[in-house]
Amino acid sequence: MAGAGARVGLITALASRADIPIFPVLGVGGRRAAFALAALPGVRVVDHPRAAALLLVVGRPTRALLRPLLVVHDLLPPPRATVWWQVGAGGEDLVAALPSTVIATTGEVAGLRTVFGDLVSGRRPSDRPALPDIEPAPWRGIGPYGQGGSGMTGGVPFGRPLPSRSADPDGLELDELPLHVGPLFPPLPPGLELHLEVQGDVLRRASVGENPFTRWPGDPALGPLDTSDFLGALDAPVMVAHLELARARHHLRWAASAVALHGLRAEAHRLRHLAERVCVGDHPSVVALARRLGRCRSLASTMAGIGVLDGGDAPPGPVARAGGRGHDARLDDPAYEGLGFEPVVHEAGDAWDRFLQRLGEAAQALELAGRAGDRVRSPGPPVEGPRGLLDASEVPPSQKLLSLLPDLLEGQEWGDAMTTIISLDIDVEEAAAGAEVQALVEP
Amino acid sequence: MSWSSPPVAAVSIGVVLAVGAYIVAVTDRALGALVSKQPLRLGHVFAGPVRDGALLLVTRRSMTERPDTEAWALAPALVTAMAAAAVTTVPFAPGVVVADVADGIVLIGAAFAVVMVGVYLHGWSANSPMPLLGGYRFIALALSYEMPLALVLIAAALPAESLSVVAIVASQDDLWNVVRQPLGLPIYLVAGLGLATWGPLNMADGADLAGGTALETSGPARLAWEVARRSVVAAVAIVGAAVFLGGWQGPLLPGAIWMVLKALALVVVMSALGHRVARVRLERFVVVAWALLIPLALVDVFVSGALAL
Repeated sequence: MAGAGARVGLITALASRADIPIFPVLGVGGRRAAFALAALPGVRVVDHPRAAALLLVVGRPTRALLRPLLVVHDLLPPPRATVWWQVGAGGEDLVAALPSTVIATTGEVAGLRTVFGDLVSGRRPSDRPALPDIEPAPWRGIGPYGQGGSGMTGGVPFGRPLPSRSADPDGLELDELPLHVGPLFPPLPPGLELHLEVQGDVLRRASVGENPFTRWPGDPALGPLDTSDFLGALDAPVMVAHLELARARHHLRWAASAVALHGLRAEAHRLRHLAERVCVGDHPSVVALARRLGRCRSLASTMAGIGVLDGGDAPPGPVARAGGRGHDARLDDPAYEGLGFEPVVHEAGDAWDRFLQRLGEAAQALELAGRAGDRVRSPGPPVEGPRGLLDASEVPPSQKLLSLLPDLLEGQEWGDAMTTIISLDIDVEEAAAGAEVQALVEP
Repeated sequence: MSWSSPPVAAVSIGVVLAVGAYIVAVTDRALGALVSKQPLRLGHVFAGPVRDGALLLVTRRSMTERPDTEAWALAPALVTAMAAAAVTTVPFAPGVVVADVADGIVLIGAAFAVVMVGVYLHGWSANSPMPLLGGYRFIALALSYEMPLALVLIAAALPAESLSVVAIVASQDDLWNVVRQPLGLPIYLVAGLGLATWGPLNMADGADLAGGTALETSGPARLAWEVARRSVVAAVAIVGAAVFLGGWQGPLLPGAIWMVLKALALVVVMSALGHRVARVRLERFVVVAWALLIPLALVDVFVSGALAL
């Protein structure tokens, strides 16, 4: 007995010193606060809740995110715990729906390590399930085959719709499975919900679900968005160097998520760290990095020809410039006069050109930041944000890109569809915030 | 000591695979730190896999609705057992082989083929969409891996005029197959990456599927699956070292040391490919496999056969 106890003690001691496997759920303001995760030592962000010990809620969950959040919580295998990095006011009533939540200092590892250590050693009990273990809807014994509906394929046994039959592009009758993914499905941007019809791994049809960041009456304001540096420039003077550094960081973070999707985790790790510490003096190293990744034939073959979007169809911004449309608000911005700014432009408009576009813009942004010195941009003209044109009277880039998704995804294989979605750099919260502004401008 | 007696064989192959899987994990962490330009923390590299394994041991196994429970549990065991079966035929030093079977190379090919069944079973049995998609992907690519793999293994047997791995190693005393058949090892490694669902050919467990066949797996079951995948990488490296790099043969050092060094070199190559080469597109790989790898593997067989005559 003593030997078995010692073995258990040894395993527990080893386990408590493992990297903390964390599944982050990003609520309102979460994207910006989650930047800190990249710099935390001993923390491992995992692909799926099943691989996590801690559920990290970053920012304020919304009412529409609550149910998915509870589902994700219950997917974590015991022992599990929930930590909340609170951003701004509000959200306490929603987080209270989770069995027990520790509020930790945003961006600090100490709180996470304490909860994890207590959890593994047994000093802290594992979270109990947040939802009852019952059928999502009654179905047993209903219908001609007891599958819950009429005909052969009606009903949703175990909460899952049965496949129907339809012709594929070659005219073959194949099973077509309805599949709902999101709003917390890891490869997708946080908050994006897709309703899909799949044949094998080919997406036959796609539509975008409700935006879970849409505010209900009485909810606190959205944000801060990850582009808040740029939004702030609409109303207040900002140093050009500050904006361009923020742009470089944004594009490097995005590049990290793009290469991670294609299996290059170490490269993604390197990009995330670089994004958090990049400064004007790093221009040569970012240029070298962009050149090296731009020569990576395996990445090119994975992204080239995927998700082609003509520059004229895309909202003004890097996606449009990757498709040959060279407009950039900085061309008309007096603050950039004399800096030698020329937009980076590519032609093909596919995922690979969008990758090259953003790497090129990251390197260019650092060069501009160096040249700008202490030059200050005055409010007034539209701001060129990292996703595109930001203007109080304009629909934000993410909202326009969301509307393009269904047509872009139709007929793509699963991997190509994920490549396309990531390549567009959509922020669902930005889309919701833009819709609010539009509602005020056009009552 | 008789290496073929069942207790000795079971223990020795178990130790080889366990150490092999650990070395694969350590190598992967070390190369990952190098690629990501992070400081090489020895504790993270050497103790990290053990700590992660311990955490999985204290984590509860997840369940889905109506899984094929037996098949789900069997899948990692099947994959590990097939990796073990392949390794039994490989001599680690003169006279040190668990099963010197006359048709050893056929056994290896068969074992690697059954690995594919195990990976598909892992995806299918969870009764969940993403693991199932991962399993489908693997099956869609199975022949594209298996055909070139089998062909280059057959080509390696031709100079030895035997299907025994012991004889194949012995036939390389003057010239290793990697020189004699320069097409063989690269094709073998590409197929091996696919077989082990590793690096650029990790389509069954890809990030775009949020983990694919392993998405619903946690706790000891997840540990078993991760050990199984790394065991296959180790088995591919050990077989590759014997069949293409002369096995235990080499100057000065004992044969077993040469064998370990050669297998380690192949693990480093496979791990480096995993960190440097992006996940390939399924359709493109099928085209490359059938239009390039299989024809080249056939050339390898024909040229090797002609030279052996």
